[in-house]
Amino acid sequence: MGGYCNSPSSSIDSSCDPDLSTSSIFEQRRDLSTELRLGLSLSSSSLQHNSHKEKDPLSDWPPIKPLLRSTLEGKAHQSNSETFFVKVYMEGVPIGRKLDLFAHDGYDDLIKSLRRMFRTTITCSHVSQVPLEKSHVLTYEDEEGDWMMVGDVPWELFLSTVKKLKITRVDKC
Amino acid sequence: MVGRFRWAAMFPDEVWEHVFSFLTSDADRNAAALVCRNWNRIERRSRKRVFVGNCYSVAPTVAVRLFPEVRAAVIKGKPHFADFNLVPSDWGGGAEAWVEAMAEGWPNLEELRFKRMVVSDDCLDLIARSFKNFKVLSLVSCDGFSTSGLAAIAANCRNLRELNLRESEVEETCLNWISHFPESCTSLVALDIACLEGEVNASILERLISRCSNIMTLRLNHSVPLERLVGLLQRAPQLMDLGTGKFSARHNPQLFSRLESAIAGCKNLRNLSGFWEPGLTYLPAVYSICEGLTSLNLNYATIQNPELVKLISRCKNLRRLLVMDLIEDSGLVAVASSCKLLQELRVFPSDPYDAAEPVSLTEQGLVAVSAGCPMLHSVLYFCRQMTNAALLTVAKNRPNLTCFRLCIIEPRTPDYVTQEPLDTGFSAIVESCKDLRRLSVSGLLTDLVFKSIGASANYLEMLSIAFAGDGDMGLHYILSGCKNLRKLEIRDCPFGDKPLLQNASKLETMRSLWMSSCSVTLGACRQLARAMPRLNVEVINESGRGPLVAQPDNCPVEKLYIYRTIAGPRTDTPQCVWTI
Repeated sequence: MGGYCNSPSSSIDSSCDPDLSTSSIFEQRRDLSTELRLGLSLSSSSLQHNSHKEKDPLSDWPPIKPLLRSTLEGKAHQSNSETFFVKVYMEGVPIGRKLDLFAHDGYDDLIKSLRRMFRTTITCSHVSQVPLEKSHVLTYEDEEGDWMMVGDVPWELFLSTVKKLKITRVDKC
Repeated sequence: MVGRFRWAAMFPDEVWEHVFSFLTSDADRNAAALVCRNWNRIERRSRKRVFVGNCYSVAPTVAVRLFPEVRAAVIKGKPHFADFNLVPSDWGGGAEAWVEAMAEGWPNLEELRFKRMVVSDDCLDLIARSFKNFKVLSLVSCDGFSTSGLAAIAANCRNLRELNLRESEVEETCLNWISHFPESCTSLVALDIACLEGEVNASILERLISRCSNIMTLRLNHSVPLERLVGLLQRAPQLMDLGTGKFSARHNPQLFSRLESAIAGCKNLRNLSGFWEPGLTYLPAVYSICEGLTSLNLNYATIQNPELVKLISRCKNLRRLLVMDLIEDSGLVAVASSCKLLQELRVFPSDPYDAAEPVSLTEQGLVAVSAGCPMLHSVLYFCRQMTNAALLTVAKNRPNLTCFRLCIIEPRTPDYVTQEPLDTGFSAIVESCKDLRRLSVSGLLTDLVFKSIGASANYLEMLSIAFAGDGDMGLHYILSGCKNLRKLEIRDCPFGDKPLLQNASKLETMRSLWMSSCSVTLGACRQLARAMPRLNVEVINESGRGPLVAQPDNCPVEKLYIYRTIAGPRTDTPQCVWTI
């Protein structure tokens, strides 16, 4: 039984594929054509026999329809056109940064990015954490020009009203 | 007729015609036609709808002559594996012969539905000019035509109700084909142009939609921006089926609220699809109608969790869900608890080739849905790992499955826990799901699974097999069992000549058999063709080794397509196809 041979395009050694019943020449020819057709979906063990590393445009496996195939390929080549960059200032630092809010899926994600960017602990009302003396609080300016604490409203609503971000020291709030 | 039933013979034909008009299914009408010569004559002369599953199974002129009163026809062409690039593009399935015969013999034709056919602009032109009461044109997975042909349809079909181009490949030659719908056109009920690659003039579309007050289905293509979608929805609040265009735009709160209220205004919305190039900002705009949705198609939408789950969890009345594997197991667990009425689930791979960042969708998701959704009967599932235990659980949970298609992306993948073949798992499926009509198997499989399928899958009509089996016995089990098998498609399996020759007569009870990259030889095909005159045995060899006629019997066959027909060998085969 061929259970131990996972690669669909087994090597030229026919003992790896006991299920083949015809001549060895046929085996080789069939293996190669299968290999060629499979393109990228080959397992690493068979790649040594095949230099087709680039995507075969006429790939017929896995069985997905042309419209899905082209949609996914399009995704690979096109960068996500939707971005929403806002300015971020940290109190006491004159040079600000810019951050793409659309690249984040929520407050937790945003806090993580900001912590990485500014190397400080940041809290907002969304994160349940007692603010330490040395930490900062995240605030934002809304459409009306008011400075609010980040985290009170749902993420989608926040995205539609935020104009810029500021990281202020805890003792100022 | 038997003496006792002489009273029946006294009924005029019109009475029987009226009685037959209550038989809605083709199978019932076929059965009635076999009762006696009279019924045969009356039934076929009054038949209004005809379904031709294989365009080469009967000559078009014969079909048109036999059923002179047809108003609606469905014709299918290429084999199913053509969807996956396995069939040469010039194989056949041309619509000309059919359209010409229909133009001659069915001037009152109202509905024409083609699937996987090559339809030229000339065909579309002929259709546009020949049928004065033409109402429905549906071209699913078709190609060979351009927007010029569509312009002809738009301009000439005065009573057009439905134009459906689902998943077709259309060349863009006429830029403003939509403008060819005359001002007098008010009859459109359904328009599906989602597959079009080019720009669609949204203003013209808006005017068209405004005057077609009965429009119920509108599926746009990716070129229609969100701003224009608002306008379209405001003009067609009665829509039941919407396919959005591009579902992202620059951050704009006013646009968001306009979109939100336009969508909320469509109180009858039941089907939602599209979501081309989706962004996250505007997704909440559809929340208001989620609860009314019965079908949600996110097949082409690369939306990730948690937004994806947030959207789907609101759709409590969903019957049908198509989604990418970005939903992951956690998302499917949420579906299992929110969408209790779910009947059909399809999960597609978002990264079919590289698996660079593997998505966390495993057999767990499938098991969760099978447990939580009691009405689930149709499944298409792409994943990268599976276990026999999971399949056994699915089989136990859902004996009501009618369609089960599992595609484990890496061929010949075993049960990842036990390293065993998935024979037991799939056997459990066919043994438990007594009404299974369609099955696709994958992963590591031996002949044993085919033994189970042959023995238990009594209602199975369509079976797809890839990279499975040990040898001839596998195919023999299928062909000698599966009493109701209609379509069998096989690729890359070690099945050879013997089971084909041993089960030749079975092939005439089926619509078609496709085998590619198997172990069939030319000699067996010759034998089969000789023994079975009512089968077309088509051998497809693309590697151009010289004419097949001259090749010896032991020459291997790359691709084989066998189908039953009363039309004899077809006359439109290309170079690479030879009907033996």
